[in-house]
This record gives sequence, structure tokens and C-alpha cells, in this order.
Amino acid sequence: MTPDLSVEIAGTKFNNPILTASGTCGYGEELADVFNLSELGGIVTKTITLMPRAGHPPPRIAEASAGMLNAIGLANVGVDRFIEEKLPFLEKYDTRVVVNIAGWRMKDYVDLAARLTDCQRADMVELNFSCPNVEMGMEIATNAALAEKAVAAVKKVFPRPVIAKLSPNVTDIAEIARACEAGGADALSLINTLVGMAVDIETYYPRLTNNTGGLSGPAIKPVALAMVHKVYQAVEIPIIGIGGIADYGDVIEFFLCGAAAVQIGTSLFVEPTAPIKIMKDLKKYLSERGLRNIRELTGQVRTYQ
Amino acid sequence: MSGIVEEYTMVIRVFDLKRGYFRLTLAPFSKVRSIRPGQFIHVKVPNCGVYFRRAFSVYDVDRQNRSIDIVFKVLGRGTAALARVCRGESMNILGPLGSGFTMPSRRETAVLVAGGIGMPPMYLLARCLVEKGFNPEKILFFYGGNERGDLVDLARIRKLGTKVIPATVDGSYGFKGMVTDAVAEALAAGPGRVRMYACGPEPMLRTIDEMAKLKEIPGQVSLEAPMPCGIGICLGCIKPLREGGYTRVCRDGPVYEMGKVII
Ligand SMILES: Cc1cc2nc3c(=O)[nH]c(=O)nc-3n(C[C@H](O)[C@H](O)[C@H](O)COP(=O)(O)OP(=O)(O)OC[C@H]3O[C@@H](n4cnc5c(N)ncnc54)[C@H](O)[C@@H]3O)c2cc1C
Ligand SMILES: Cc1cc2nc3c(=O)[nH]c(=O)nc-3n(C[C@H](O)[C@H](O)[C@H](O)COP(=O)(O)O)c2cc1C
Ligand code: FES
Repeated sequence: MTPDLSVEIAGTKFNNPILTASGTCGYGEELADVFNLSELGGIVTKTITLMPRAGHPPPRIAEASAGMLNAIGLANVGVDRFIEEKLPFLEKYDTRVVVNIAGWRMKDYVDLAARLTDCQRADMVELNFSCPNVEMGMEIATNAALAEKAVAAVKKVFPRPVIAKLSPNVTDIAEIARACEAGGADALSLINTLVGMAVDIETYYPRLTNNTGGLSGPAIKPVALAMVHKVYQAVEIPIIGIGGIADYGDVIEFFLCGAAAVQIGTSLFVEPTAPIKIMKDLKKYLSERGLRNIRELTGQVRTYQ
Repeated sequence: MSGIVEEYTMVIRVFDLKRGYFRLTLAPFSKVRSIRPGQFIHVKVPNCGVYFRRAFSVYDVDRQNRSIDIVFKVLGRGTAALARVCRGESMNILGPLGSGFTMPSRRETAVLVAGGIGMPPMYLLARCLVEKGFNPEKILFFYGGNERGDLVDLARIRKLGTKVIPATVDGSYGFKGMVTDAVAEALAAGPGRVRMYACGPEPMLRTIDEMAKLKEIPGQVSLEAPMPCGIGICLGCIKPLREGGYTRVCRDGPVYEMGKVII
């Protein structure tokens, strides 16, 4: 019997636990040239804002050890063009669509979610509270009371599940997680990128025009795992693990630490077919161990006393 | 679906072209037949600790053997490791990527301008033109470098039957000076209707782009940018457009009409 990879988050079924992370798969069109998007459990869109954004000037990416820094600056087509031109493309695929949104004020999140309410293809929204590359982005991410209010406000207008995406750039991620849960979040996704920097030793200038950027890729996986593990103990709602996932073993680790699904980001840049390979390897891992489904692994990490 | 594939190929041959330049043959690549001049592949360089793939223009293809050739210059860690790969080693490549050149009309003279390591896509373009029956006499292949050693595989280019005009800054071979000066000289001689194609360092491309604008010559340039993903999903490889906004060099380019991008 082939093991069951499907998972359920906030009453919504995903064919498998592999989603592609926001900002690393555009709106799906490009990856569709490489593999069939229906193979994915879900796709999380690039962050959408009310108005289109060109993003930061180049250079806005830099290579790092086992990862990268980015300061894209939330470049996106804006919600109107997204709904008109981008969302319809995803219509033909049997995969979940999570629309990631961000704003500068609480009202922006509410307006965005309201605009998406009638778009049935938007199965869920993910609130990007945590982009370290835009000035105001960090405020809601680091302030528990604000985060709770923002989630509650979005929940009022959006009838389907709401995911709060958490920043690792905080003192206590569990506190923010609890606040989002209290605000009514249906799930949490973590982590977003860690603030980082790289400097050119010839010119003395940082390698990004934004000076700092977000670190992602395999380099951040241990940090992400520790945070998922911590948040799992703090909340009841499901957790979507993100951070440096490159192979099936990484996925299993996230599940053991408490994830109910995962998102793959930076690895797509190096190996765009990674999700397909991971799925195959996950099935093998599960069947070799006689496990019937992946869900039963969530939170099964053993800890030393 | 699946215009782009990620697959393992084998290193068939590593050819030392001297002075830090190498030619690498990889096979089999299933998409060999769909490759157009100007397109590139993204190569996962084994065992060197660099995280991103490295982009290389397709230099030549052999449809029979389903092989691809690239020519590269050792610049940093990735290319240094690539120079050390051995025959039979397996190598993961992603491609074919990017836009290709559009062909000139038969009434036009094709002016190809290659600067340094910008030569590979120019060679493939010349080869395809000749194969398609374009009169080789009407292809002017300008090839510039700092010195003689920068002009690699000249004999191979000449074999196509095109007119090759080498240029070196130090005058050690061919025209003495910038390749763009050689181009300007030729254009002043009035070669009739011309279409220009260029690939090379940015200052060269800027000059060609300006020249094209001034003389109202149509054509295309192939640009470079550091490329994390190569398929358009990271938004890292951007350049500013004249009309405003940014373009992704990997997917919207790397080949652009003259004047479109602020180089
Ligand atoms: C579409 C495209 C086609 C290319 N085709 C070829 C080709 O046919 N032959 C060839 O030799 N090279 C080609 N390149 C450039 C090649 O990808 C770089 O030389 C290579 O990335 C350098 O890698 P490295 O690891 O050796 O050097 P690194 O250690 O990464 O860098 C060495 C130096 O090169 C600079 N550099 C690195 N990558 C780039 C880049 N993409 N553009 C400009 N500067 C860079 C760095 O800033 C540094 O100064 C192409 C690049 C692109 C984007
Ligand atoms: C180039 C790039 C752009 C990103 N853009 C966004 C974004 O727009 N919104 C967002 O919530 N997260 C964004 N992220 C963060 C990722 O979704 C993910 O949380 C993070 O990169 C960690 O996962 P990874 O290590 O698998 O990439 C971006 C990451 C990268 C590398
Ligand atoms: S290299 Fe990622 S968008 Fe061009």
C-alpha cells in the first residue's frame, strides 16, 4: 500500500504536505514550465500588496554559505492585476492556493483579504507579518498585541482559513504565536527569513542596496526547527514549517518537531524539481517503516529529559 | 508543459583552451533540439561549496549525440571547480533557459559582436544562420578581447565561412583597439542594411546599444546578471527597463531588443 501523504489544515485537505513558499515561486507560471503544479500540495503566492511594487534596486540578492540573502522589497503586481491576470492561471491545477498578503497598516491587510473574499481560488490567505525588508513590515511581527488585532481583523472579513506567518527576528516567537492564535489564526507558518548582511571587501559597500537582507536556505534550517519545536508546545493550531528544506529528511525533521505541513523556498532556486523528488522519497521513507500516513509523525520528536 | 528540464548529464570532454578558458561537452541532454542561439543552461557545479547554480550560454550543440558545449573562463570558485571536473563525471543541468535571438532577414548583413566570454552565443547564432542557408559572406563576426589569449576557438569560428574580424586592446592580434571601434569603422564603410547582435561585457554592450540607437540599426543584445534561479521565480536578476520598471534577465531575457534595457 502506498503511504498517504495528504494532510489537513484548518479543515482544508492538501493532497500532500509540500507547499512552495511565498516569494520563491512567483504566481506559479514559471514553475509550471518545469513540472505539473498539481503535484504540489499547495502554492503560496509571492506577497501581494494593495498597489504594485517594483521592489528594491539591484543588487537585491547575494549568495551566502548554504543559502542566500535577499532584499527583493516585496516586488509584486498589486492585488488588482493579481486577481485579474495571475490567479486565473492557477484555475486548472489540482493544488491549494494560499495567497500571501502584506501591508503597512492593519487596514491594508483587511482591505486585501476583503478583495480576495470572492476569489474562490484563494483557498487561504497567509499574512506576511514578517518581511524584514520593508520599513513597517516588522512592527506587527514583533508586537504581540498588534499581531493579535491584525489577525482578528482579517478573520472578520475573510471566510476561509487564515495563516499567520511568523518572523524569527523576535525575542520570543512563542509569545507572538500565542497572540496570533488568540486572534483567531487557523494556522501558523514559520519561519520567514533571518536578518543578515554581507559586505564587499573591495568597495566596503554591503552586497545589497538595502544594506541588510533576509537569510534563507539550508543555513537557517536548525533555527527554523528549534522555533517550530518551541511554537508547537505553545499553541494548539497547526504549524507549517519553513526554512531550508532541501530533501525528504528535512521534511521529516520538521514534522517530528511539530509541523503539519511544510513550505519549500530557496531550494527551488537550486533544484526546481525538489518537491517532486521529495514526495517520492517521503513515500519510500514511510513505506520502509510501515507508516501509513505522514500525519502521525507530527510532534513525535523525543526529547532528552 | 515541461519546456525546461532538470537532468543529469555526463561530462564527455573538458578541453583546455588555455589562459583560463575551457570548453566542456555535456551529454545527453534531452532538450538539445529545442535550444535556440542565445539560450543558456544553469549548471550545478559539483564539490565547490557555492550554493547557486552558474549560468552558461550554449556554445554549440550536437543533435546526433544530444550534447551541449559551453565555453567558460575561470573567474571565481564556481568556474574554478568546473575547470577541474573529469570525464565521466555526472553533472546536473537545468535548461534550456531564456529567450533566443531572432533571425535577420536575407537582405540584411548580420553584424555579430562578441566581447571576451560573450563569444559562445554569438558562435551558435552564426552557426545556425549558416545552417539555415544565410550567406556566410553577409555575417561579420567581430570578436574582441584584451589580448590574443582572450580570443578562443578562432579556427572554429572561421570554419563557418563567416568574415571574422578579431580585435585586441593591446594590438597583439587583429584590429588594435576596442572591438566597438572596429565595428564603428565597418559601419562607416556602409555595409547596407544591417542587423546587430552583441554579447560581452557591459561597457561594450552600452557602446553597441548607443551606436545602434544613433545609426538606427535594429538588433539585439544578450545581457548578464547574477542568477540565483534562472527560471524567473526569485526576482534577483533584474535590470531597469527604459520604459520604467524592471525586467528579469533570466526569463524575459537574456536577449533584448536594442534600447530596451538600461545597460
Ligand atoms: C545568461 C548568462 C550566460 C553566461 N554565459 C557564460 C559563458 O558562456 N561563459 C562564461 O564563462 N561565463 C558565462 N556567464 C557568467 C558565469 O555565469 C559567471 O562567470 C560565473 O557565474 C562566475 O562564477 P564563479 O563561481 O566562477 O565566480 P564567482 O566566485 O561567483 O565570482 C567571480 C567574479 O565574477 C563575478 N560574477 C559572478 N557571477 C557573475 C555573473 N553572473 N555576471 C557577472 N559577474 C559575475 C563576481 O562578482 C566575481 O567578481 C554567464 C552568465 C549569465 C547570466
Ligand atoms: C527571494 C526570496 C523572496 C521572498 N519573498 C517573500 C515574500 O514575498 N513574502 C514572504 O512571506 N516570504 C518571502 N520569502 C521568505 C520565504 O517564503 C521563506 O519563509 C524563507 O525563505 C525560508 O524558507 P527557505 O529557507 O526554504 O527559503 C522570500 C524568500 C526568498 C529567498
Ligand atoms: S535568476 Fe531568478 S528571476 Fe532571474
